[in-house]
Amino acid sequence: MSEKKASVKVRNVTKYFGDFTAVEDLSFDVRPGRIFGFLGPNGAGKTTTIRMIVGITAPDEGTIEYAFSNDAGREGHRDAGMQPQVNKGRGVAASPRLRVSNFQDRIGYLPEERGLYKKMKIVDQLRYFAALKDVPRALADKRIDFWLERMDLAKWKTKKTNELSKGMQQKIQFISTVLHDPDLLILDEPFSGLDPINVEFMIEVMAEFKSKDKTIIFSTHLMETAERLCNDILLINKAKKVVSGSLREVKASYSKNLIALRVAGGDEVLGDKSLVENVVEHSDEKILQLVPDADSQLLLKRLIDSGAEISKFERVEPSLNDIFIEQVGN
Amino acid sequence: MRKFLAVVKHEYKKIVLKWAFLIGTFLFPVLGVGFGVVPAIIFSLRGEATRIVVVDKSGSVLPRLKENLTAEKIETKAEEAAKKTLKDINASQQEKMKRGAEQSAAGFVFVDYEVGAKSSEQIRSDLVSEIKAGEIDAYLLIPADVAAENAPFEFRSRKGGDFVANDTLKDALNQAVRSQRLTDAKISETQVKSLSRDIEFDAKGLDEKGEETNSDMLMGASFVIGLMIYITLAIYGQVILGAVVEEKDTRIAEILFSSARPFELMLGKLVGVGLAGLTQLGIWTTSLGILVGYLSTQGDGSEIFKRLPHITPLMIGYFLLFFLLGYFIFASVYALIGSMVTTVQEGGQFALPVTLILVTGYLFSFMVIRDPNSSVSFWVSIVPFLAPITMPVRILAEMPPFWQIALAIGLNALAIVGLIWLAARVYRVGMLMYGKRATIPEVWKWIRQA
Repeated sequence: MSEKKASVKVRNVTKYFGDFTAVEDLSFDVRPGRIFGFLGPNGAGKTTTIRMIVGITAPDEGTIEYAFSNDAGREGHRDAGMQPQVNKGRGVAASPRLRVSNFQDRIGYLPEERGLYKKMKIVDQLRYFAALKDVPRALADKRIDFWLERMDLAKWKTKKTNELSKGMQQKIQFISTVLHDPDLLILDEPFSGLDPINVEFMIEVMAEFKSKDKTIIFSTHLMETAERLCNDILLINKAKKVVSGSLREVKASYSKNLIALRVAGGDEVLGDKSLVENVVEHSDEKILQLVPDADSQLLLKRLIDSGAEISKFERVEPSLNDIFIEQVGN
Repeated sequence: MRKFLAVVKHEYKKIVLKWAFLIGTFLFPVLGVGFGVVPAIIFSLRGEATRIVVVDKSGSVLPRLKENLTAEKIETKAEEAAKKTLKDINASQQEKMKRGAEQSAAGFVFVDYEVGAKSSEQIRSDLVSEIKAGEIDAYLLIPADVAAENAPFEFRSRKGGDFVANDTLKDALNQAVRSQRLTDAKISETQVKSLSRDIEFDAKGLDEKGEETNSDMLMGASFVIGLMIYITLAIYGQVILGAVVEEKDTRIAEILFSSARPFELMLGKLVGVGLAGLTQLGIWTTSLGILVGYLSTQGDGSEIFKRLPHITPLMIGYFLLFFLLGYFIFASVYALIGSMVTTVQEGGQFALPVTLILVTGYLFSFMVIRDPNSSVSFWVSIVPFLAPITMPVRILAEMPPFWQIALAIGLNALAIVGLIWLAARVYRVGMLMYGKRATIPEVWKWIRQA
């Protein structure tokens, strides 16, 4: 029904801090309407990359291109109907410096290091953050009430930050990132410091944003969560890209052609060295290592033909956790 | 632009809509008056009377001394002194002098002491032991030959620190001895009085139009203006430092930078806080103006207010303008420092040299008051950093030629442009550097690279 809202193209981006290369020749696409998981160990360059996408810093080399829909759905906003923009590195003549804040109005950013004014009323800070995203006052007030209600924080509206618990402050911070109804949400470690109930709640909100065709980039250490939420992933380590693509493709490419099998009979098929390289006996099932390029469908067919009784036949895919450890562990 | 205005509004409201601002705005004048009035009140409070024994070996000084310490004599003296500075004395001032004189006179109680045939040593030890016993507070030994050179007048008191009373006694004694010497030399007192009368010194300044100005109250008024600008610059510089460090320390900077350009954010902060300072200064100058205006229409004290230097609206405009120039100079330096450091305390240490410059400017203003047209006054009222304090003082002391004011405004505006350019570069990088204070070489690199 509505067109996909935002996409980002990162092309050959490099960022130096003095002699240290924080991000090296990084390229990837964030496709519209999908959840993009940005994974990597501490110090890999995730936050640096995210800061460049948000427009806080500019790349030293390479470009980041944004495409936002010309969308009448952003009613009440002054920036409806925007041309594609580029955050280019220094020295690029076309760098649209003056319009940098323009594309920033379409991005909602939840930094890893959270921050609120300690002695200011919740409603005042939210209004200020909304004003900085160029949201008209009346619209901002409406959304503040909506989100405070939804987060069950309505009665804290006129309280000051230092009267709130850590978890509540996290939720306020999240509200501040969505007040301008961004098309692109960038969440740096959105689940850190949240209790399990609130983690579930955040996941729910992210799923809801996705269902509205918004694009979400988020970084996390929690591989299970990433596996559950992401359509696409990017794994970086030591400033460089290690793995990227859709979750499905990545998993398939890391598949070692393993089959978990629970079967009675069919021993001669399993002994066929042109198909099965190795069999490891577990307590109630076998793990088969197929020869490279072997067709698991053919194996299944021959097992059935041989009259073996199959109660389980499953391609074993590596978990994201396995891939992470394999790629980053050494 | 909308975002810039949002920042300005946010910073302005953050300061002005706080109790601290309200209290500060009204407390400062109260404190100022307090600093002027309280010491005067304290000094006018007199302790208990000094019980004194006077041993007069000359036999002629004591009666004169006693006479000089009567209320009438002290009052006459004070009146003569006052007439030298004030042309005419009104009733309330007369009343005040009379009360002061009575107080001074009541400050001494003469205690009798039988000298007999005792030697000086004996008298001394007698009196010292009386002082020790607390029966008397002081004694005075007057030598036999008061005309002799180096004739010792020995005064010992257990209230040696009561300089007001001691001065009164010394004056009275001096006068008594002097007139005794004159009498001894056969010169009549009226003769001496008419011969040693002070001259009438008619001192008035000339303004640039060659018209006479009154310089008596200049020092006070310039002092107040200089102090007001100095204090507001120091206070609002600190406000900037605190606000910048807060945004860095709480990591709010990261959210702000994801919404607006660092330059907009920094300049918005400077302008917002500056407007708050201007509001405060505006309230002060306006209420001061109203107060002076009201008092000068009242009978009492009108003499003093008439003698205040004439302050025109143009001058007030200049004061506010130079306050703004000074504010942007110092605030941009404070913003630069704030984005380098990690805590306000650290920032305070770094800002010390800046604060010293501010103090230097204030100290120079005293020199400017004394000699507003010297070449040193010219230079300190032109150079950036000092001019925002010294030029308003100079304008008040004696309006300098317009080209000099324009030059000062131009130079300081240039300095502001340069400093904001520098501060913005440091701010952009520094605000995202957490954990440790930036070193000077690092900051230099940011400035060059950005």
